Amino acid sequence: MAIAGIVWACADGGEENFSMFSPEAFVAKDYTPFFYDSNYWYYGQSVEIDDNNNRFNDQVINEWDSYLNHQLNKPTLRYLLLKASPKGIDSVSNYINGKISKLKPDSIQVNMSKLDKAKFNNLYGYLKLAKECEKFAVIAPYGWYDTPPPLPPVSAKLEGSLSSAFNKSKDPFIKQRLWFQLVRYYFFNDDTTKSKTGAIDNKADILVWFNNYKGTFPQNLTYYRAMGYVAGYYRRKGNYALSNYLYSRCYDYSYELKIPSKFSFHAQQDADWQATLKLAKNNQEKITLWHMLGMEYDPVRAIKEIAALDPKSDKMDLLLSRIINMSEGEGESDYSGKIADTAQQAIKKAEAREVNLVDSIALKNNTTKPYYWNLAAGYLNYIYKDYKKAGKFYDMAKKQLPVNDKLITAQYKLLTILLNIDELQRIDPKIEAKITEPLAWLANLRDGKEHITSLRFDPALGICANHIAQIYKKQGDWLKANCFKDSIAFYTDSSHVQKLTDLMTKSQKSAFEITMLKYYPHTLDELYYSQATVLTYKENIDKAIEKMSLVKTMNPDTLAGNPFNSRLNDCHDCDHAAHQKQKFSPLTFLKTMKGIKTDLRAGKDKFRNAWLLANAYYNITYYGNARLFYQSSLIGVDITDQSITKKYYLLALANAQTNEQRARCTFMAAKCERNEYYNSTDNNNQGADEATLPPPGKYFADLKNHYSNTKYYQEVLQECGYFKKFVTEK
Amino acid sequence: MSYRSFLYIGILFWTCLVISCKKKKNVTTAFYYWKSNFNLNVQQGDILKQTAHNTLYLRFFDVSWNDHYHNAFPNAIVNFSQQTNGLQITPVIFVTNKTFENIRSEAIDSLAIHCNALVNHIAQKQKINYKNIQIDCDWTLSTRDKYFSFLKSFKKINQHFLEATIRLHQVKYKETTGIPPIDKGILMFYNMGKVNANLQQPNSIYNNADAQKYISYIPQYPLQLDVALALFSWSVQIRDGKVIQIYGNIGEKELSNPINFKQSGNAYCAKKSFFLNGIYIKENDNFKLEKIDLNMLTMAVKQLIPYLPPQKNRTIIYYELANLNLSKFNTQTLSQISADF
Repeated sequence: MAIAGIVWACADGGEENFSMFSPEAFVAKDYTPFFYDSNYWYYGQSVEIDDNNNRFNDQVINEWDSYLNHQLNKPTLRYLLLKASPKGIDSVSNYINGKISKLKPDSIQVNMSKLDKAKFNNLYGYLKLAKECEKFAVIAPYGWYDTPPPLPPVSAKLEGSLSSAFNKSKDPFIKQRLWFQLVRYYFFNDDTTKSKTGAIDNKADILVWFNNYKGTFPQNLTYYRAMGYVAGYYRRKGNYALSNYLYSRCYDYSYELKIPSKFSFHAQQDADWQATLKLAKNNQEKITLWHMLGMEYDPVRAIKEIAALDPKSDKMDLLLSRIINMSEGEGESDYSGKIADTAQQAIKKAEAREVNLVDSIALKNNTTKPYYWNLAAGYLNYIYKDYKKAGKFYDMAKKQLPVNDKLITAQYKLLTILLNIDELQRIDPKIEAKITEPLAWLANLRDGKEHITSLRFDPALGICANHIAQIYKKQGDWLKANCFKDSIAFYTDSSHVQKLTDLMTKSQKSAFEITMLKYYPHTLDELYYSQATVLTYKENIDKAIEKMSLVKTMNPDTLAGNPFNSRLNDCHDCDHAAHQKQKFSPLTFLKTMKGIKTDLRAGKDKFRNAWLLANAYYNITYYGNARLFYQSSLIGVDITDQSITKKYYLLALANAQTNEQRARCTFMAAKCERNEYYNSTDNNNQGADEATLPPPGKYFADLKNHYSNTKYYQEVLQECGYFKKFVTEK
Repeated sequence: MSYRSFLYIGILFWTCLVISCKKKKNVTTAFYYWKSNFNLNVQQGDILKQTAHNTLYLRFFDVSWNDHYHNAFPNAIVNFSQQTNGLQITPVIFVTNKTFENIRSEAIDSLAIHCNALVNHIAQKQKINYKNIQIDCDWTLSTRDKYFSFLKSFKKINQHFLEATIRLHQVKYKETTGIPPIDKGILMFYNMGKVNANLQQPNSIYNNADAQKYISYIPQYPLQLDVALALFSWSVQIRDGKVIQIYGNIGEKELSNPINFKQSGNAYCAKKSFFLNGIYIKENDNFKLEKIDLNMLTMAVKQLIPYLPPQKNRTIIYYELANLNLSKFNTQTLSQISADF
């Protein structure tokens, strides 16, 4: 896929988001964890759902809450069920039964007048056993243990306690939970290496307990959780057919059971899978199995099979969204650049298989959400650049869209905008009028002025703006091209910048111009600042001051070092740390330069003024201490150029009165000469390698030949190893 | 003197040395065992005894980074289904490079303490009295400092003779990747090429041309080097022109079934979508088979030996025992290979 490639080619790496197709618009909420997201294993905010030890906590609490007729408040219930140690439970029980007078901890409360003591005692009796079971069933998944935990200690005593409690219990709510504990107990009790290799034993306790009582209890969460452990037993024994079948039943039951069931679904050989399919009692069960295979391995094959069994099945919805979302990112994470032709062909074939399947189902028009299939087919064809077909599918979808569904309507709009903009070949005022509203809509989404929950729209802004910019560029309209895609080259021509500021300050803007400027990333202040800096480097200080004065807010507004100082070695940090009597803002800096220039022109103190100007121009290049001056969001000039600063150092040299002054000017000219060499090579970061040292140049020789008797010369020898080497070697 | 003649004299010199010292040289043969369940079958036990005098480098656990908990944790801790009586065991810890990419420098000491505690716990429980310990980590430029400081801490706490694996790229670029602070290195003379979707690409486990790019740097490496050699094969699953996964359990036997695959050279194209050995294969998936047989192993050893500086007590460790194809390699062939060193 190349559309996003253009936009993101220059992005700074990291995980990029390519998605513009929201599963939320089409797929039932229960499947949210499996919505495709390239950044996360499970989609959505809920972390607990991914945590084997906490997944069912909320339901468990709610079930007990209704069993107890809301007589215990939720925090108390939460404490008893999830946090309290066996001692903690005893303490609460002692309080309720009048044995102690103070309830601990302070965070829990019991309203004794409302409490059904018999039911509480049922809870208490159950918890005493359940907490024992948690020792082996609820294990922290990771950790460096002082002594690594042994296999879960499953004691024979506990088995007796559980089964006798089960036999005694008359309360069906408690009885079912004890049954669950027993099934789980036997699952862990059997978790030995030997049991993994042995054959299935129909007399195994776990199977006997599950089968004997499965008809006795309602088919609720507890029932399916028990079934999950039976599935686990079969899986451990290598009977993948049965385990997969049972997992698929659990998967179908509830949102929370979907993750562990999907995770445990496994086939070792194809015979396992074929046997799994045979266990399905009807088409709906078969569809769930194909759905699970599709999610983990092969959505295209699964959709084909499901569509043949029941085209109205909503089990295809998730698979379709995953196909689309995976196609969106396809190829984008491949950093290797060019790929081989054979690989290219293989990719094309796979794409064709995908598109053909989705097209054909959309065309049959016999699903429950035909608009979903048409939008999906349209978008896939758009991704693979068949715009004509994409348009046809979108047109069909348009007639079928559900009324008043904000997200689906927005999804349709987003997809058609992408197609319409991509199809543009040229843009005239008529087209501009047509694309104004869609572009404004996208910009409003970006700016949060319009909010549509779950709509994935981010990449669309870049894709549309980029395509429009390309067309304007082809048409020679640099201004509009740059509004949609900002490029540094634009700012090198001052007439461009002037046109842009004129546009931005124009009082009567057209609707299109207003929208277009929403895509332009810079402010008027930034433009004025940029103009001022360009003029500075052109030595047009008066005009520069004029533009700089227009800047309303400047950030930062103070230069970090004194821009009129010079140094033997370049060290901005030293200049920034040095005490400064006077601080300069970009504007006062320019105004000071203006004063110096006026004096110089008038012939006043020519050495000093030329020297100060030279330093100022040196410091506002890449090598100087006043980088802040040009480090704005727009740089329209070559900030490495040394010609102006060198010119002033030579002027200072010509007007110098002492050899000390001349030595300084000569050394600074040598630095400019050196910088010019660095500018011309790519080697400036490679350190003091012999091969990358610049040639000594004219001014090193001048310094050596004419000023070796100065104090400054000695300072240079002390500081500059390269000069010392130059002097001693020749 | 030209490089070539220098090399020639060099080879001659080493050859003379090897010949003259033939009787004195002392090469130990050993195996790695990398599975998380320690359970040798009779044949594996036999070859370990006969070829390696029961010298085994046993992976105790991995250390990997957990994104969810933002911490390093042990993983796949070895489980003993069998006693280790009579075996000379060197524990091996495999630490993922991602661990060092993510761990904070302040947490490195704790990591070393944890690793040491876990190794000693496992060793005590199994009554393993170890002398050396080996760390395996494919460190890079960016993780070098943290990894080396881990090694230093670990050595200080553990106090045993510390070994670590050295990949060929770490030998070649030693100036940047650094020399680890250890007592001895184990040169991994395999996995030298690129694993990619190109069906024409030479075997990534070993091929002469890729080995040649690194081999001349070995003599200058400033650590004693044992040698690890590959006895494994694997297949690379390629889908839509991209590498999906590498499998040790899909080999020639599985791929040569004409009902499932169409073969051309080393590549096998799936004729249908199906499950095989726990893996889902899609129609048109390609499997690239990369195998090491006796011939290639002999070639690798011949290529390597002239560049290995002489060393008393060199150990040759074969990777690895649990998945060793006993129809391809046996005590006799492996002993012969070790004897070449």
